[in-house]
Amino acid sequence: MPLVIEKKQIEDWLAELKQTHTLIDIRDSILPPKQYFFPPQEEIFVFDKKSQKLTSPAQQEELLLFGLSLKKLEAMTQLDEIMEKPQPDFFYWQRRIKSILIGLTDKSFEVAPGGDLILEKINEDQYQVLVLTKKGRKIAKSKFLKQVRNPKVKKYPSVLKPLKKMLLDPELLAEAVAWSRNHKIWDELAEKCLGCGICTYVCYLCHCFSIEDSVSLDNSKCSRCRYWDACTLPGFSKVAGGHNFHKSIKQRYYNWFYHKFVRAYQEYGKAQCVACGKCKKYCPARISIEEVLKEIVKDYKKDRKS
Amino acid sequence: MKNLYKPFKVKIIRIEDHSSDTKLFRLKKDKGSFLKNKQGLSFVPGQFVLIGFFGYGEAPFGPASSPYQTSYIDIVVRKVGTLTTALHQLKVGDRVFARGPYGNGFPVNFIFGKDIVMVTGGCGIPPIASLVEYIIKNRNKFGRTYLIYGAKTPADLLLKDRIEKWKKDIKVLLTVDQPDHRWLGSVGMVSNLIDHIEIDPLDAVSAMCGPGPMMDALEKILRPLGISDRRIFVNMERKMQCGIGKCQHCTVGDKYVCQDGPVFNFDQIDKSWD
Repeated sequence: MPLVIEKKQIEDWLAELKQTHTLIDIRDSILPPKQYFFPPQEEIFVFDKKSQKLTSPAQQEELLLFGLSLKKLEAMTQLDEIMEKPQPDFFYWQRRIKSILIGLTDKSFEVAPGGDLILEKINEDQYQVLVLTKKGRKIAKSKFLKQVRNPKVKKYPSVLKPLKKMLLDPELLAEAVAWSRNHKIWDELAEKCLGCGICTYVCYLCHCFSIEDSVSLDNSKCSRCRYWDACTLPGFSKVAGGHNFHKSIKQRYYNWFYHKFVRAYQEYGKAQCVACGKCKKYCPARISIEEVLKEIVKDYKKDRKS
Repeated sequence: MKNLYKPFKVKIIRIEDHSSDTKLFRLKKDKGSFLKNKQGLSFVPGQFVLIGFFGYGEAPFGPASSPYQTSYIDIVVRKVGTLTTALHQLKVGDRVFARGPYGNGFPVNFIFGKDIVMVTGGCGIPPIASLVEYIIKNRNKFGRTYLIYGAKTPADLLLKDRIEKWKKDIKVLLTVDQPDHRWLGSVGMVSNLIDHIEIDPLDAVSAMCGPGPMMDALEKILRPLGISDRRIFVNMERKMQCGIGKCQHCTVGDKYVCQDGPVFNFDQIDKSWD
């Protein structure tokens, strides 16, 4: 029998969950869910100079994230894979392993893209509750979630956007982006791109980081922090002595695309993009990944024919 | 789950001055010795370790000591940035942190039994030095072996004491750009030394580590010798942060220098856009 929650009772259920969990409603968040497991800045080590002891701050909090869209769930499944293979990222998993992800969607879907539990709209007043994991089953035990025989089920199909469609053939995108290195579009984009890094911060999947030390004012403690970096920023590939391996914005911007569509495809068999559109939405220069890919793919196909 | 970012403590047990801005640090593990890999080595020549000093960060160094040595590793540090400047102020007995070894290293099984031309310049000598130590330890299993080493001035040639010892076992060719009055060796680019090399080009390999312009010199010297691109191995340098293929700083096209490298053959490098 399907498990169902009344739309008007969702808030009550959340209030109930709040009593036992640290619940974060991420529906209106600009920064993606990655921030809870891979924070914009986190202290990963503390070195006490006097005792010469090295410690790592323990992360005890069990987070319950509510309101992940299908694309956010898909991205989290992919980010889990990135942080697991080829070698696990300790600091990500320290937080992630205890967390619970609740999806919420007004669109019907065939295959659950990830998460522990998903609320899927089935009619104007009700959501079906899909339990996907053990952790999901635990939080599904509530008086607000009821088994209903034959609830009214309406389909709310989503329209496949052009970018999402393109992502269905990641091999073609990998080939096209690799082929496009000398395409004039990269010169044009280098003129437009401000190199601010916002696209990578709002991206559900971008995960570049840097590690930097700082010392307390009294010189007793050193902390090693890991923080979000962006491959489009000028100093990303600069080494001591001043040599910069990616000097121009053109190189850096192409490298961003190259990672998402070529390197990622080689590593994981898919592009590191879920077509969420956030990079375009928050880009001060309004660069659209979709438009760039369209043009490259079109010219690549033309070139392949001739 | 293992925390791969967690470094272990090492103690500085020896410091040597090698040039006006370069020092060698001998590092010993605080607890136990350096672990041996399947080949019985504490690291593969060409692999790197991340050496860190809290407050100043971490940076990659290719150990210069023999890979058969498990009680210590030597790193050669040129004062160029924040961390290296801090390291230069340390004394024997001080402690720093280390992680690794990381990366692939030179393909020691592939090069086994072949003639070898090693080429390096300036402070690119450390990984080559450990390869030389490896070869000398297995001397009768290798063919003709050359080390070509160039530097700006005679004073900039590092590891001179060890180079003198190597001369018993391998052919060492040194060259400088600006000789002083006592210099008796070659002057100019390493490519000028090509006439001194006698190898079987079909069964020879080359191993190299050095700055960008050396790559061009390498092409000039090794291609005419007839060593194919797949047998020319280059130890590359990139910015490193994580060392385990996550942070994206060291990527070169579709490769991670920290994982797939730092040693690549010339064919791979030629095909890469980056």
